[in-house]
Amino acid sequence: MSRHLAWFFFAMVMLAVSAPLQALNYEVGGCKTGSGYVNFTTISAAVAGVPAGATIQICPGVYPEQVTITQPLTLKGIGFNNANRAMITINPNGSLAPNVTSSINGLPFYAQVLVQNINPAGPVSIIGITVDGSGDNAGCSAETLAGIFYASGTSGTVNEVTARNQVNGGCGWGIWVENGAASSQTITIENSSVHNQGNGGIGNFGIGSGGISAVSIVPPTLSAAIRGNFLSSTGGEAGLGVAGNDAILSETNGEISGNVITSNPQFATSIYACCDSVVVSGNTVANNTAGFGIEIYSGMTAQGNKLSNVGYSIVAHSDTATTIKSNTIKNTLCGLSFGGASSGTISGNTLNDSFYGFANWGGPPIGGNSLYNVDNVMSTTSDCP
Amino acid sequence: MKHTRSISKHWVLFLSAVALIVAASPAQAANYEVGTCIASLPKFPTIQLAVNSVPPGSTILVCPATYSEQVTISRPLTLRGLSSSNQDRPVIAAPPNGLAINVTSITGANVAAQVLVQNVAPPGNVNLTGITVDGSRAEVSGCSVSAFLAGIFYASGTSGTINEMTTRNQQLPSCGYGIWIENGAGPNQSITVENNSVHDVTWEGIFAISNQTPSTLAATIKGNFVTGKDYNQTKDIEVNGVSGALTGNVVTGGLQGITNDGGPVTISGNVVADISIGVAIAFGDGSTVTSNKISNVYTAFLLGGSGVSPGPTVTGNTTKNTTYVVMYNCIPNVTVKSNTFNDSEFGFDHVPTANSGLGVNSIYNIDTVQTSTCP
Repeated sequence: MSRHLAWFFFAMVMLAVSAPLQALNYEVGGCKTGSGYVNFTTISAAVAGVPAGATIQICPGVYPEQVTITQPLTLKGIGFNNANRAMITINPNGSLAPNVTSSINGLPFYAQVLVQNINPAGPVSIIGITVDGSGDNAGCSAETLAGIFYASGTSGTVNEVTARNQVNGGCGWGIWVENGAASSQTITIENSSVHNQGNGGIGNFGIGSGGISAVSIVPPTLSAAIRGNFLSSTGGEAGLGVAGNDAILSETNGEISGNVITSNPQFATSIYACCDSVVVSGNTVANNTAGFGIEIYSGMTAQGNKLSNVGYSIVAHSDTATTIKSNTIKNTLCGLSFGGASSGTISGNTLNDSFYGFANWGGPPIGGNSLYNVDNVMSTTSDCP
Repeated sequence: MKHTRSISKHWVLFLSAVALIVAASPAQAANYEVGTCIASLPKFPTIQLAVNSVPPGSTILVCPATYSEQVTISRPLTLRGLSSSNQDRPVIAAPPNGLAINVTSITGANVAAQVLVQNVAPPGNVNLTGITVDGSRAEVSGCSVSAFLAGIFYASGTSGTINEMTTRNQQLPSCGYGIWIENGAGPNQSITVENNSVHDVTWEGIFAISNQTPSTLAATIKGNFVTGKDYNQTKDIEVNGVSGALTGNVVTGGLQGITNDGGPVTISGNVVADISIGVAIAFGDGSTVTSNKISNVYTAFLLGGSGVSPGPTVTGNTTKNTTYVVMYNCIPNVTVKSNTFNDSEFGFDHVPTANSGLGVNSIYNIDTVQTSTCP
């Protein structure tokens, strides 16, 4: 009995010692002080020093560092003294060497915030932080620059983040998430502001540059929810992409919904989505006059999107059925292009002010859509010229 | 007997009414055609000849082609574009010899309207659907701050709906309007402008104005896609002194996205983007600004008005990638709460020291939350 009592007291002492540690607040930057806070001077020191599952508050300020996160935690920007931007930037005195290789395309990346090898397993959440890529001009031959990179086997949420200025001579992405592992992962990217990526470069072996990319092996082991984000001036191949490049047969599951994507320069694609179970819905795409609005593949759905002032509005790369319904398209060169498909659900779409309505359709006449001010209802060539 | 006689009289009246309806229907509801794409309909070679000739209430179907004419509509009718032989765009273009000034606005400005709706008799709606009004190569003598070009103009006392039209290329320097609606008359009028594509205009995309107090123009402006020109000072949508709602529009480019100079107007569910040197939504007294999405603009909200209480409200909006979120201009009693603002250099500029109305908002990534004080 007395031995049991001794164990009991030992356990109580351990609990008493450990409990305050668990309840502590973790902070970077020095704006929150006092007995309840553990302070760090850099984000890198904090993410390595806190217990798994902790929340780290980041004070407003500029943090010129490359951050690698290897345990589950939450990184959260906070406001203080009339300022509200905690910004991770390129360290002008640091190495610009790549710190991760994509498991999907094998290319070297310089990730400003790298989420990798999480142990113990658990989600990493990033909220209210700015990641600014100005200053990394190593170029496409050296690396692709990514503001935030979730590597294989990781999961979590990116929410209300700003990712900007990942240019790097035309090879830059705001947010890149991937899974090359066999076990399934879920990553959500939402409500974020993503802009000024790549500046229109088409380099890096076809991967190019863009705002958000989510890629996976085949069959897909990544479920990516990309919703409520605002992207602008995201150059290169895809403003917002699920699967960066069809040539490497990357796939993922998930949704692309409620995003606002505008002002894509060059020959960009605003939403490039592959594969079967991705649903592209409720997005607004505008001002991509030389590029594609939405690209989808076999079996996918594009529904309830609004597109205007776009070159090719919705392009289905498919000789099998897709579902394209209830989209509204205005002021475009080419409304809907079907990749030679002869069946599918093509209904309830409204086109107004288009040079070509439909193109590359192999089936019977398309009904059930509303067309106004369309110069050529069906393109007489194999696709919109 | 009395009962029988009564029924019989009712029968006579009923049969007379039926006979009148039958007789009137062909004229009232008949379709007429401009062009020659439908063999069975009465045909007119020009839109102007058709609108001058058909009975009030008629529907005029316009075959795909280019009609180089300036059209004035002065009776209630529907003008609707048709699809034929893989073509689906009737275009009203400027006549080769240019456009004539054909209306004076309640603002005092002289306007050359490509499609003018004016002095409609008998009273009734004029509805336009599925036609492109193109201002390319339009010449307006004296185009300046007092003479304007407008694609579509609804003058005082008129009503109706402008739906799924395209207006484009009204781009004479400093004087091109896509759609202009107004009411300076006493009786109330309602005009709906919906689902239109408006682009390549130099001055204003959609403009609605009433000079009556209280307003006699109820304007519903919804579901339009308006693209302004960056290198001109385009106001994409502006309402002045009207009542109504501006909802679900997609507005990009230009100098100012949505403007309410004053009047009981709800501005909700719009997307406003890509206004690099201007303002997404500017508004004065009477405005309710809610659930709009704004990104990639210099200033998201520019407050105007008198400071009267209660003032305008700004709730449930989302902004990203701005330089300023709210320019208060020291105007009190403007409620700004329950919005989400992310990614701005400055948050709230010139917030009044008393009765600011600034409530709790969700703020992320703003360099300086409040800037510049008021006296």
